[in-house]
Amino acid sequence: MPLIIKDEYPEKLFRKDGKRLDGREINELRPIKMDVGVIKNADGSAYLEWGNNKIIAAVYGPREVHPHHLAKPDRGILRVFYRMATFSVFDRKRPAPGRREKEISMIIADCIEPLLFLELYPGTSFEVFIEVMDADGGTRCASTTVAALALADAGVPMKSLVSAVAVGKIDGKIIVDLSGIEDKAGDADLPIAITWYNEEISLLQFDGNMDLEEMNKFLDLAYEALKNIHQIQLDTLKSKYVKLQEETSNPNHKNDNKGE
Amino acid sequence: MMDVKRIISKIEKDYILSNLKKEERIDNRGLWEYREFQINSDLIASAEGSADVSLGDTRIITGLKYDVGAPFPDLPDEGVCTVMAELLPIASPLFERGPPGEQSIELARVVDRGIRHADCVQTKKLCIKEKEAVYILFVDMYVINYAGNLIDAGGVSALTTLISAHIPEGIWNEEKHETEWTGKYFYGQDIVNELPFVLTYGKIEDIIFLDPSLPEELVCDGKISISVTENKITSIQKSGSATFSIDEIKMLGNKSLEFGKKLRKELNLLQYLAKTK
Repeated sequence: MPLIIKDEYPEKLFRKDGKRLDGREINELRPIKMDVGVIKNADGSAYLEWGNNKIIAAVYGPREVHPHHLAKPDRGILRVFYRMATFSVFDRKRPAPGRREKEISMIIADCIEPLLFLELYPGTSFEVFIEVMDADGGTRCASTTVAALALADAGVPMKSLVSAVAVGKIDGKIIVDLSGIEDKAGDADLPIAITWYNEEISLLQFDGNMDLEEMNKFLDLAYEALKNIHQIQLDTLKSKYVKLQEETSNPNHKNDNKGE
Repeated sequence: MMDVKRIISKIEKDYILSNLKKEERIDNRGLWEYREFQINSDLIASAEGSADVSLGDTRIITGLKYDVGAPFPDLPDEGVCTVMAELLPIASPLFERGPPGEQSIELARVVDRGIRHADCVQTKKLCIKEKEAVYILFVDMYVINYAGNLIDAGGVSALTTLISAHIPEGIWNEEKHETEWTGKYFYGQDIVNELPFVLTYGKIEDIIFLDPSLPEELVCDGKISISVTENKITSIQKSGSATFSIDEIKMLGNKSLEFGKKLRKELNLLQYLAKTK
């Protein structure tokens, strides 16, 4: 924060063997771990570890809207609050939400809204709270992914899940899932999310420069990576119900089935 | 979802109270028993120290960041350690978004005072150059799930975070008149001396009990939090509308020292010291 210790990044972002600094191939994702039902008080919740990112999301709703004038008589509303912990970044973040957090909250809400049947919940709100506890590049994509999972965990009717990832460009090479260093030092950054019920793009931003050919490659690489992320989301949700089924069909299974 | 209510029915209150009179609690604990503590440390890569502490279903994640700044004029050779708390809206339907309210400020203040008056953080060791540069430590607590007694969980969470600290070491460069980094680190054991624990009791009518859970907290008349070190009481906070007799306070002082010793031994927080590189 040290105004004096700089958050430095190396000049070269590829190793001599052509791999990335953390040993990944250009199209390889960081290790991803997901869990649902992590917050007992919430209607639905999910936890995501994506590389060094650690993010918790919780859903409350449908519930009464505060402040009341935001309520819509013909449909429910979705509100997303993306926030970062003060200690989640290199320089301590100020506790109050900044412009960046408000913008990302809006982007994520716009991305998720087409999945929901809000017309079935007039006068109510769904609130999705996303808390980034540890950040290392790609938090808006990770947050979108974990928010969808929390909504599904809450049992909110959804057309499908949504998955998000960032693709980018470093030294002319196109890479998938930028880490914090790659994000800061790279030449281009394109976060993208796909809603699976229609396989269309629901979140898209871009900063940097690319030609048409590169753009096509960006989109193709992102689509492949997103399929993998979607599978992890599905497996995480399914494993919750498998566990529930085991517990309800055989309440004593923990004691009986040891070693089986 | 757990059944979280803002108001507890008269019947439920009577049930909690009649059980307490029989020295029983709705979660089967004794009057002087804690829920189980679960502690993980140093889980946040971006922080200079961190802890994830659960007390029953109450869960708090705390992280440490630092800055270098000018010392206070009246304490020119001492660093500063500040504690902040946020009751995240993910943690309970009872919590709302927005700037810190009374409850989060009380949590931060009580934990802060427990640490400050216990000779816990060696603020003199956080001095880089007298009158010029000292470390400012930020211990920031985030409540992840609220199931009662945030103060005791917060106290352990903040203390574990400080113990797990690993902070870049700075020295003063007289010529350039600025702080320089040696590339080395200093650790929890270099700054933490006493280990203070804060113990919170609830009171309903004339019954007092340790570690109130959320339903107990909602029905109780008031609470009292007592911070202790090995053999001294360092901080007390009475909250809520309950009143305590002089004998009750004496009894609680005595019990707090006893329970503090027990916690100190059972939690063995020094096991969470950062691994020195």
